[in-house]
Amino acid sequence: MSENILKFSMNRCTSVERLDDNTLRSVCRLRDTFTCASVEILARLPDLEIIEARAQFHHEWLEPPDVDNILLKLPGVRIGAGMLKIIKGLVGEEEESRQISYMVEECCQAIIISLTRDILVQAPTSEEGKLEFFSKMVRDNIRLYNRCAAFAAGSRLVEGTEPPG
Amino acid sequence: MLTFARNKLVSVAVKDRDRLSIHAILDDDIYGLEMDLDVGIENREILAIAGKWNRWTTPECSRAMPFLQEMKGDRIDEGIGDRINKVLGRRGCRHFANLLTECCHAATEAARVIRWENAKAARPDLSFRSFLKEEARGENNGSETGASEKSASTLRPSLPRVETVCGGREPAGPGGHGGEGRTEGFVIDLHAHSFPASSCSSASVDELIEEARRIGLSGICLTDHNHVWTSGQVEALRQKHRFPVFRGNEITTNQGDMLVFGLEKDIKGIITLEELRSEVVEAGGFMIAAHPFRGFLTFSTVQLGLTPEIAAQRPLFQLVDGVEVLNGKVTEKENGFSSSVAETLRLPATGGSDAHQASEVGRYATRFFVEVHTEAELIRALKSKEYVPVAFRARKRPVKLPEISLRGACER
Ligand SMILES: [Zn+2]
Repeated sequence: MSENILKFSMNRCTSVERLDDNTLRSVCRLRDTFTCASVEILARLPDLEIIEARAQFHHEWLEPPDVDNILLKLPGVRIGAGMLKIIKGLVGEEEESRQISYMVEECCQAIIISLTRDILVQAPTSEEGKLEFFSKMVRDNIRLYNRCAAFAAGSRLVEGTEPPG
Repeated sequence: MLTFARNKLVSVAVKDRDRLSIHAILDDDIYGLEMDLDVGIENREILAIAGKWNRWTTPECSRAMPFLQEMKGDRIDEGIGDRINKVLGRRGCRHFANLLTECCHAATEAARVIRWENAKAARPDLSFRSFLKEEARGENNGSETGASEKSASTLRPSLPRVETVCGGREPAGPGGHGGEGRTEGFVIDLHAHSFPASSCSSASVDELIEEARRIGLSGICLTDHNHVWTSGQVEALRQKHRFPVFRGNEITTNQGDMLVFGLEKDIKGIITLEELRSEVVEAGGFMIAAHPFRGFLTFSTVQLGLTPEIAAQRPLFQLVDGVEVLNGKVTEKENGFSSSVAETLRLPATGGSDAHQASEVGRYATRFFVEVHTEAELIRALKSKEYVPVAFRARKRPVKLPEISLRGACER
């Protein structure tokens, strides 16, 4: 029966690669029932500054946003704290550009997580080792305190750690 | 070679007459999670939600799961993205929040397809585009939402709100006294936010001023986000509280937040740093890079290869008059790094609490060596470079000050 036939499907892939010692490329590709889009960001280390941004956007009924013009505003923006407000402000929150803005953020977020990955591969495999490793991570970056359930009061990872203030 | 990849898949089917069934997967180098959701077709209410970890990081990640249930009963509308971030992202897990955001967007789009199919039952020739046009004109009965409805409306990123500086928790030490050297000089908290001018603040302007007076500051400067206080308003506050109140403005640029003084222009949206610089120069004002490394040292500087010398080369530092090196909302490490950069550049260094509640006022401040009573005197004093950032308010724990020479980096 037709109830098993999908009404909507989405596939989004975001990937990060290192082009050279100082440059990261992050690409977000989206294919859903109505959209075919991609956004590509080049970021430079050590500042994590966006140096180039490109995009393609096709949508079943939305007017294509002026992506070239929109993305021209991004170089110079730093990936990190405060970026969401800046990206939204620069790309705009109109219906047409909202998906682009989201994809830029996904690219930037992927870069941040890819850097986290480099830290996480050093985590020990034993339970006690993990507890100590992640507790130390919170102590060293107290901003992580209360960032998620694992780092909130009551979690073993913040036992004995004073909340930031 | 890829160093990281995240794949997300969302599928929406019809479960029964009234509900959609959504299955979603997020799989990347670090995390693997799945989510199943039932959503009402008509009202788009989240009727059931279940999640599952396949791969995770910490031994405590499972604590996030109960927060999924807090989204049950919510409705998918324009504000759902913010609510997901607040309820699930900040308190539970931002990766589940990210996937739920995608599910909500997918549900909205699937509901649109179903409305078209329903309309087509009576008019087999109705194309999707014609349907959308008619919906936008409100011509299809029973469609409470039109094509003009924001198609990506639920796509609010569920990324970590690492930039949020609202809501510190720790009250300062009793009495708030004992700030170092508080009897010497003229000490102004150069960075404070009041409600409602800054929606993220929970302190009224009166509370901020009264607290500044109570703890013995010499003055306080209101630096609400992209908000211009009129000279009349500030004068009225001075009279009312018989206390030196100054006005600044914290403006978000494409290169981060800037504290500006002496600029009357009301700037909305994101401005480029260059544009802001021109405005400030034209107005004869003063511009300070606010918390320039906030959240930036989460990764080790070794990992990024970041040193104060390299950071100092950022073009932004060529366009500012000073650097905030003591900010109450960033880590000591980040303050210390800002301080090193300011020293490298021989830029004047300031301190400010970035208070968003009264108890935070004066955590850090700036000590001037002259008395400052008017706005013109404040600008003049800032340009004189004769001041140092100070930890003014007592804390629970002793604060390790960045190494700043007594008279500040500006003097060398
Ligand atoms: Zn602020």
